[in-house]
Amino acid sequence: MMNMRLVRPARLVDINAVPELSGIAARADGGVTIGALTRHTDLVVSPVVHDRAALLATAAAHVGHRAIRNRGTLGGSLAHADPAAELPAALVALDATLVIEGPRGRRRLAIADFFVGLLTTALGADEILVAIDVPGPPHAGWGFAELARRAGDFAIAGVAGIARPDDSGRCRDARLVAFGAADRPVRLRSAEGALIGTTLSDEAITRAGAEAARECDPPDDVHASSEYRRHLVAVLTEDVARAARDRRAAAAGSPCR
Amino acid sequence: MSLITVRLTVNGRQTERAVSPRRSLADFLREDLELTGTHVGCEHGVCGACTVLVDGRTARSCLLFAAQLEGAAVTTVEGLTPAEGLSPLQTAFHECHALQCGFCTPGMLAAAHELLAENPTPTRDEIRDAIGGNLCMCTGYVNIVRAIELAGARIRGAR
Amino acid sequence: MTRWVGTSVPRKEDARLTTGRGLFLDDVGRPGLLHAAMLRSPHAHARIVAIDTTEAARLPGVHAVITGADAAASTAPIRPLIPTPVPLHDWCLAVDRVRYAGEPVAAVAAVDRATAEDALERIHVEYEPLPAVVDPETAIRPDAPLLYPDLGTNVLWHDVLSYGDVAGAFARADGVLAERFEIQRYASTPLETFGAIAEYDAGLDGYTFWTNDQRPGLTLGILAESLRVPQARLRLISPDVGGAFGNKRRPAYLLASALLARRARRPVKYLEDRIENLTALMHACNGVMDLELAYRKDGTVLALRVRDIADEGKNLVSPTQHNLIKLGNLVNGYRIGAVSYEAYSVLTTKCPSGANRGIGKPFMCFAVERAMALLARRLDVDPAELRLRNYVGPGDMPYTTPPGAQYDSGDYPATLRRALERFDYTTWREEQARGRRAGRLLGIGIATSVEPAGTNLASYELITGRRAASGSAEAAMVRMEPDGQVRASIGDPASGQGYETVIAQIVADELGLAPAHVHVERGFDSATTPWLYLSGNYSNKFSVTDVGAVIGAARKVRDKLLRIAAHRLEAAVPDLELADGEARVLGLPGRGLSFRELARTAYADVLGLPPGEEPGLEARHAHQNPLAQPVGPDRRVRSQLVFSNAAHCCLVEIDRRTGQVKILKHVVVHDCGRELNPAIVEGMVHGSTVHGLGAALLEEFRYDEGGQLLTATFMDYLKPTALDVPDIEVDHLEHPSPFTPLGAKGVGEGGAIPGPAAVANAVEDALAPFGVVVRSLPVTSERVWRWLRDAPPAP
Ligand SMILES: Cc1cc2nc3c(=O)[nH]c(=O)nc-3n(C[C@H](O)[C@H](O)[C@H](O)COP(=O)(O)OP(=O)(O)OC[C@H]3O[C@@H](n4cnc5c(N)ncnc54)[C@H](O)[C@@H]3O)c2cc1C
Ligand code: FES
Ligand code: FES
Repeated sequence: MMNMRLVRPARLVDINAVPELSGIAARADGGVTIGALTRHTDLVVSPVVHDRAALLATAAAHVGHRAIRNRGTLGGSLAHADPAAELPAALVALDATLVIEGPRGRRRLAIADFFVGLLTTALGADEILVAIDVPGPPHAGWGFAELARRAGDFAIAGVAGIARPDDSGRCRDARLVAFGAADRPVRLRSAEGALIGTTLSDEAITRAGAEAARECDPPDDVHASSEYRRHLVAVLTEDVARAARDRRAAAAGSPCR
Repeated sequence: MSLITVRLTVNGRQTERAVSPRRSLADFLREDLELTGTHVGCEHGVCGACTVLVDGRTARSCLLFAAQLEGAAVTTVEGLTPAEGLSPLQTAFHECHALQCGFCTPGMLAAAHELLAENPTPTRDEIRDAIGGNLCMCTGYVNIVRAIELAGARIRGAR
Repeated sequence: MTRWVGTSVPRKEDARLTTGRGLFLDDVGRPGLLHAAMLRSPHAHARIVAIDTTEAARLPGVHAVITGADAAASTAPIRPLIPTPVPLHDWCLAVDRVRYAGEPVAAVAAVDRATAEDALERIHVEYEPLPAVVDPETAIRPDAPLLYPDLGTNVLWHDVLSYGDVAGAFARADGVLAERFEIQRYASTPLETFGAIAEYDAGLDGYTFWTNDQRPGLTLGILAESLRVPQARLRLISPDVGGAFGNKRRPAYLLASALLARRARRPVKYLEDRIENLTALMHACNGVMDLELAYRKDGTVLALRVRDIADEGKNLVSPTQHNLIKLGNLVNGYRIGAVSYEAYSVLTTKCPSGANRGIGKPFMCFAVERAMALLARRLDVDPAELRLRNYVGPGDMPYTTPPGAQYDSGDYPATLRRALERFDYTTWREEQARGRRAGRLLGIGIATSVEPAGTNLASYELITGRRAASGSAEAAMVRMEPDGQVRASIGDPASGQGYETVIAQIVADELGLAPAHVHVERGFDSATTPWLYLSGNYSNKFSVTDVGAVIGAARKVRDKLLRIAAHRLEAAVPDLELADGEARVLGLPGRGLSFRELARTAYADVLGLPPGEEPGLEARHAHQNPLAQPVGPDRRVRSQLVFSNAAHCCLVEIDRRTGQVKILKHVVVHDCGRELNPAIVEGMVHGSTVHGLGAALLEEFRYDEGGQLLTATFMDYLKPTALDVPDIEVDHLEHPSPFTPLGAKGVGEGGAIPGPAAVANAVEDALAPFGVVVRSLPVTSERVWRWLRDAPPAP
C-alpha cells in the first residue's frame, strides 16, 4: 500500500519484535492457536497446522509466491482484510476466534464479526491482533479452490469450506466461504443449506453450486466481471464440496469427524 | 526526520547504520552499502528482481524497511558469490545461458538458492514454482529452469 | 576460417552479471548526484490553466523545479519523426495542454527521490479537462475531440498503397474471406526501467548523458537540436542495459534531466518507476484491421486487401512505424500476387506508442495467420496443408513480394514440416479427436511467419514524400592494443543479446586469436564508439549491419598486421597466416611473430613499420547493407532487408468449466540463417516466444472511457511467469543469407511475431465444435467462458 503511495502513514510501528505474537501451539480441543505474526510459510510447513487445520495450510500455500509467504503474516492478512485474500476466508470456514488486545485489555471476537467491509475490520485504531484460535476437533471434510489469472495472483474468486457429517453420514453442518466475491469473505448460506442433511451427492453439490451463484453478488474489476465471478463461485463451490466429500470418505474410520 | 540506528549482518559482515525510517532495504543495500547487485524492477513486490535472503529465506527488499531488520542476517548476490570464481548456481546459469540482460539474475539466484537449500532434487515443476514470483523478460525461463536443475545435480554430486 | 563463429561460446558478460557486478544505469554514481521526479497529468486530456511551483521550490533538499514553460523558453521543440502540414510543437514537459494521463508537466531535482516526490505534492496545477479520445475509430471521425486543433484532424497519415491487380484478383476469386481483427495495447516491459543521468559542464557548456536509450544516434541529434548546442559538446554513454525490446527511448526524459542539471548545476538522475513505465513510456499500437482475402477453391490465396488503423496514442516521436512495417510484412511468406493496404496512423489521448518487440508484425501475422486458419476451416483443408500450398518455395529465392520486400533465403515448407514432425502433429490430431469424444477440449494452433531484419529508413519516403534518412548501417572499431590483445566497440548498445561474446567470436576468427583475448566494450560511448545517425539497438539489425561493421574493421586490422608481419618476416603477404595469436609463414614452422611483437612495432618501434605505413593498429568501419535501396517509382521498397522464418505449433487445453487456457506444448522451428552462437540464438527464441505467449494470454493495457489506464502495475498488467508458459521446444534449419556478411539473419523478434497467432489458432481449434472465432487478444479465461456460454448447443 505504501509502495503504491496509497497510504502515507506519519508513524509506523514495527511489531515484528514482539515475541508474544509468534508461535503455533496445539490446543487441548484438537485445535490450534496461531500467533498473529506467524508467517504464511510457517503455516504451510507446520505439522501442527497441517494436522489440525489443513485447510489453513492449503490456503496459505496459495498466497502469492514464496518470497511473499516468507514475510507476510497471518495477522497482517486478516487486518489488511483484502476481500480476495485466502487466509481470512479459510479462517471463517474454520470458525476461528480472534484474540485482540488494546489499551482496554484483551478481548475475543468471533471471526464472523471481524470483517466489516472493504479493507475494514472491527479492530480499533489502538488495537492489535494477538492470536488466532482455530477450534478443534479437526475437520476431515474440507476443500479449497480458487481461480487466479496466474498462479500466485490474488484470486479472481475462490471458495474455502468444511462439511461435517452426523453419525448417519449425512452432512450435519457446512461452512462455505467465498473470497473475491464481495467486499469481504462471505458465507454462502444457501449453498450450505443445499448440502446440509444430504450425503453430499452429486445432485446436492450441483444444487449448492447453483445456490452459491444465486446468493453472491461479486464485484467487477479489470480482472473479471461480476458475472464471471458468479459463475466461478458456483464451479468452485462444487469443487470444494466434492473435495470435502472425498476427503471425508478417505478419512472414514479415522477419529476426526 | 529523525534517523534510526539499525544493526544487522549483511553478507556475513556486521553493519551498523543510521537510516531514515522510510529507507527501504533495497535502497539501503544499493545506496548506503553500495551493494548494487540487488536490482529494483517494480518496487511493489511483484517482479522479484530485488529478492534477497533474510535469515536464509527469500524476501523482497523493496517491501522491507531497513529499520525493520535489526539483528537480521541479509544475504545479497554479492554474498552468494565466492571470493574467487562463481558458485555452482552461478556457474550453471553461465553454462546454460540462463541470463540475457542479467537484470533478473540476482533475484533468480536468491530464489534458486533457497529452493536448493531445502530441496536439492527439485522437479522442473518445483523449480518453476520456486521462481514463479520472479519475472524474467528475456529468457522465457527455459534455460533458468535447466540451470537450476543442473546446479542441483552438481550440488548433490558433490555431497 | 570460422573456428569460433557458429559455436556456443559461453557469454563473457555473465562473469559480471551473475555476480551483481554489472553496471546498470541506476548503479552509476556521480558526485553530487540529484534525483528527479516528474509530476504527471492525472487527466487524459486537459488544458493547463496554471502551474504554481513556489511551494515545491522552497522545500528543503529541492534544487530545481521546471515546468513546460521553462522547457519552451530554453529548448527547441523535439523534432517530430514525420513532418505535419502544420508544425506540432512538442517539448519535454507539457506546454498548455496534456494529451494523456501520465504526461509529464513538471520535474523536480532533489537530494533524493523521496524528497523530489514530496516536492511534487507541493506543485499546484489547475487543469481544465477536455474530452478524451480513446478509441482510434472514434478519433478518425470528423467530430472527434482533437489533440492538436491546429492540425484539424487526429490522423497523422492516411493512404492507400496498392500493388498488383487487386481488383482483378478479387474478381477472379472463387471466394472472399472477410474478417475484422483487433490487437490490444501491450509492451515488452524490460525489467529495468528507462532513464538517464544528465550532467552539465558549465565551463564547456556541454552535457554528458548516461542512459539506457537504445537509439543513441538518433537521440543525440534530437538532444543537440533541442538544447541548441553543437553535437560535439554532447556525450552519451550507455552502461549495461536491462532489456530494451524497442521500448527504451524517450528523448524528453533526457532533455528534462538536462534542464534540471543545468539549473541545479549538479548531475541529475531520472529513472522511471514501474507505474510511470507502464503508464507513459511506450506501448505497441493497438488497432483494428479489416482484412479481405481472395482465394481459389483449391486454397490458393490470390490477393489481400487490408485496412489498418494504428492507434499511436500521443506519439510524435515515431508514428507510422507500425503501419510501414506491416506493409512490408503483408504477405507473410506466402506467394500472394496482389495486395492493397490502407493505412491510418491516428493520435489518441493515450500513452505514446512505439517500438516493441516485433513492431506491428505480431498484429500483421495475427491477422494473416488467423485468416489462414479460418480459410482452412472454410475449405475443410488441414491448416498445415493450406499453408504448404501457398508458401514461397525455396526455389523461388530470392523472391520479391508485391510491396517490394525481398525474401532472401529459406525453405518455408521444410520449416513447417519439421515443426509438425517435432510437434508430433498427427499423433496430437488423433489425441485431440479422442479427447473431444471424452469431453476434453484440446486445440492445435499453427502459425508461421517471416522475421525481417534491418530497417531501410528510405521507406519513410512513402509517407513524407522526401528522404531525410535512408539505408541501414552501423559502425564499429577494432583495435589491437600494444599488448597484442584486442578491444572492439560498436554503435549498437546491447541490451542482453550477448554482443560482447558474439563480436569477440567474429573478431577472433578474423584475426586468429581466442575470444578470451578480444575485449568488447560494454554499451556505448559517443566520445569513443564510432557511430552513425543510424546507430542503435533496433530492428533486429545486428546480422545485417553490425556484423559487417565488425568484420570490416577487423579486416583492416588484419591486413595491416599482415603487412607489418610480411615486412618484418621478409615474406609476402599471401604466404602468411594469422592464427593462435601470431603471424606465421605458411609451410615454415617456427617462422612467425606474435601479435604482441607486431603490436610493439605498430605502437612503439614505429621505425620497424613498412615504409609509408601509419603507426597504430586501429581501424573503424561502417557497414552499409547493399540491399537497402531508395523507394522505386511504383512505391515499392525494401523497407526491411533480410528475412528469417519460423513455424510455431501450439497445443492448448481448455477447462470447459472455467474457460482457463493452458499451453501444454509449444514447438518452434526457425531458420535465421547462419547461427553465430547457437546457444544465444536459442535463448532469443525462448524469450521472444514467451513475449508472444504473454500477449496472447495475459497482457493488456486497458483504458477506461476517460482515458485512465486501468492496468498500471505488474499486479494488473500481467506478464507471464515461469508457471504460465511451458518449456519452449526449439529446433532450427539453417539457410544462410547470401546478403549478409556471415549469412546470419535476424533472431530477436521471431518468436514474438507468430506466438500470439499460434495461441489464438490453438484456442479456436479447441473451441471448433462451438463455432468460436478468435478476433482479438488476450484470450482470458473469462472470454473463453463467454464464448462457451454463448455458443449454440453443440451438434
Ligand atoms: C506481490 C504480492 C502478492 C500477494 N499475493 C497475495 C495473495 O495471493 N493472497 C493474499 O491473501 N495475500 C497476498 N499478498 C498479501 C501478503 O500475503 C500479506 O498477507 C499482506 O501483504 C500482509 O502483509 P504483512 O503481514 O506484512 O502485514 P503488513 O503489510 O505489515 O500490514 C498490513 C496491515 O495490517 C496491519 N497489521 C499487521 N499486523 C497486524 C496485527 N497483528 N494487528 C493489527 N494490525 C495489523 C498493518 O497495520 C497494516 O495496516 C500479496 C502481497 C504481495 C506484495
Ligand atoms: S522490485 Fe521488489 S519485487 Fe520488484
Ligand atoms: S535476463 Fe533480462 S530479465 Fe531476466
